Amino acid sequence: MSGDGDPDGAGEHRVELAWRDGREEMVAVGADETVLEAAEAAGVALPFGCRTGACATCTARLLSGDLVHRRPPRALKDRHRERGYVLTCIAAPMTDCRLDVGADVADDLVSNPWK
Amino acid sequence: MSDAERPGDAEPHAHHDHEDGVEGPGYATPQAAVEDAEREQTAYVMGLYVGTDVDAPDFLAVVDVDPDSDTYGEVVERLEMPNRGDELHHFGWNACSSSCHVDGLERQHLVIPGQRSSRIHVVDTQERRDPEFETVIEPEEVYEHDLSAPHTVHCIPDGEILISMLGDADGDLPGGFLELDDDFEVEGRWDPPGEIEMNYDFWYQPRRNVMVSTEWAAPKTYYPGFDLEDVEAGNYGQRLHFWDWEAGVVDRTIDLGEEGLIPLEARFLHTPESTHGYVGAALSSNIIHFHEDDGEYHAEPVIEFDDREHPDWDMPVPALPTDILVSMDDRYLFGSNWLHGEVWMYDVSDPSNPRRADSISIGGYFGDIREVQGRELVAGPQMLQLSLDGERLYWTTSLFSSWDDQFFPEEGEKGSVMCKADVNPRKGTMTLDEDFLVDFGEMPHGPARAHEIRWPDGDCTSDVWQ
Repeated sequence: MSGDGDPDGAGEHRVELAWRDGREEMVAVGADETVLEAAEAAGVALPFGCRTGACATCTARLLSGDLVHRRPPRALKDRHRERGYVLTCIAAPMTDCRLDVGADVADDLVSNPWK
Repeated sequence: MSDAERPGDAEPHAHHDHEDGVEGPGYATPQAAVEDAEREQTAYVMGLYVGTDVDAPDFLAVVDVDPDSDTYGEVVERLEMPNRGDELHHFGWNACSSSCHVDGLERQHLVIPGQRSSRIHVVDTQERRDPEFETVIEPEEVYEHDLSAPHTVHCIPDGEILISMLGDADGDLPGGFLELDDDFEVEGRWDPPGEIEMNYDFWYQPRRNVMVSTEWAAPKTYYPGFDLEDVEAGNYGQRLHFWDWEAGVVDRTIDLGEEGLIPLEARFLHTPESTHGYVGAALSSNIIHFHEDDGEYHAEPVIEFDDREHPDWDMPVPALPTDILVSMDDRYLFGSNWLHGEVWMYDVSDPSNPRRADSISIGGYFGDIREVQGRELVAGPQMLQLSLDGERLYWTTSLFSSWDDQFFPEEGEKGSVMCKADVNPRKGTMTLDEDFLVDFGEMPHGPARAHEIRWPDGDCTSDVWQ
């Protein structure tokens, strides 16, 4: 599961990115990189906004593996974190990981409250 | 180099007669703007890809609104931002009629913030249909002042620029105001830190030495989307702040309570002597009127939109009036009910007692008009702009990427539209112009959202008189 704190899983980890339309990519995330930074370096476009953990545009869901947030993920509520949602802009993998990614993942965080 | 020092333009922006012979930007009075303005031919519109899987930056769209042109109703130029992920939202000019007395200053530069990125772009529109970047203020320069989430841009007298900032550097509270100098460099924080907690829109009325500011929420609260739990927890705004404009401190805060949840757009009447104005309380679906009486500002709802039952919804649907504007002659208040699907105009010739004049039922969940030129409308009317003469009302349909996805999920997939109504200000009527449609679903990189609209020669939501 994801958690906060200093990453101690030093070294490079392989992160599988899986979009809901079936597309998949693999990126190697270095010890001092976030998932978003590594994806950008590999030419793989992921959604993002503030890049500080405040806005949730980059929300992904951790399907397997372990990663940490380098700053508090302010955009996520406890209920989101308990269900495995993470923010790729501040997420550093501790192990190899598999992530559910794409713009529609952030839509899971809130629903129409009146419908 | 500031615009006041700039040598003469090859294609000068409109200057208008000023009684004192000074050639500053804008118009001597609101009525001069109505009389002197030529019909708008170009519109600047915010176009967005943030929060979608389209791998492209947000852009400034240049829209041809000249009916005699072959490209009428088309996006004729797109200035892409240097980065993805900005969420372009509101924007403003480096100068308006408040600097009418400043010789040589031009309404030439658009200040375009990224709501999510906290990056501030300055764009030179000397060539109206070929805008180019002047400079970009990177987020780190903004965070240095413990501010983030730039929203409303107003020029303030003498070429300086004030921007409402909705959060601190962490996207939490308090927000505040960031000031830029006339060379587009960050001057610093305008307000004492902590003077307000929440922030959103603002408008100033310098002759009355007053500024009003409104409240959305902390960026970390509204960025991910609308969560009713946050309303129950008091994380959304319900206050208006009336500032001493010269001193830069709050004189009086009015808590609107449940009648004023999420007070968004704030509009003073244009008449520089007036203390009257309006705020749209989006979540409560009320329009709040404020004015000064006995040396103190007062505020109360003057228009209330009822919730409506919808067969597909468990709870009644609120109207959600997300934008309002006042015509340049201060005769009408226009507004948009985004969820219900309605644009409306109220006669405000008696500012405390608005009288419904006309409306168009279009888009949203209840609009009678479901398509224009065969294009399905997948959201309600949202951001408004009115011609200076008050005869043409334009609007776009996106509110905010994450909120669109909640309430009108097809908006991101199909893109926004820009629509137009012809207004008869003598009769108090408005009619949809079915010959006009700008389809942001047809952009080169894919469907885009569209948000705020501005004209090169000033408009009803940016001009203030000193």
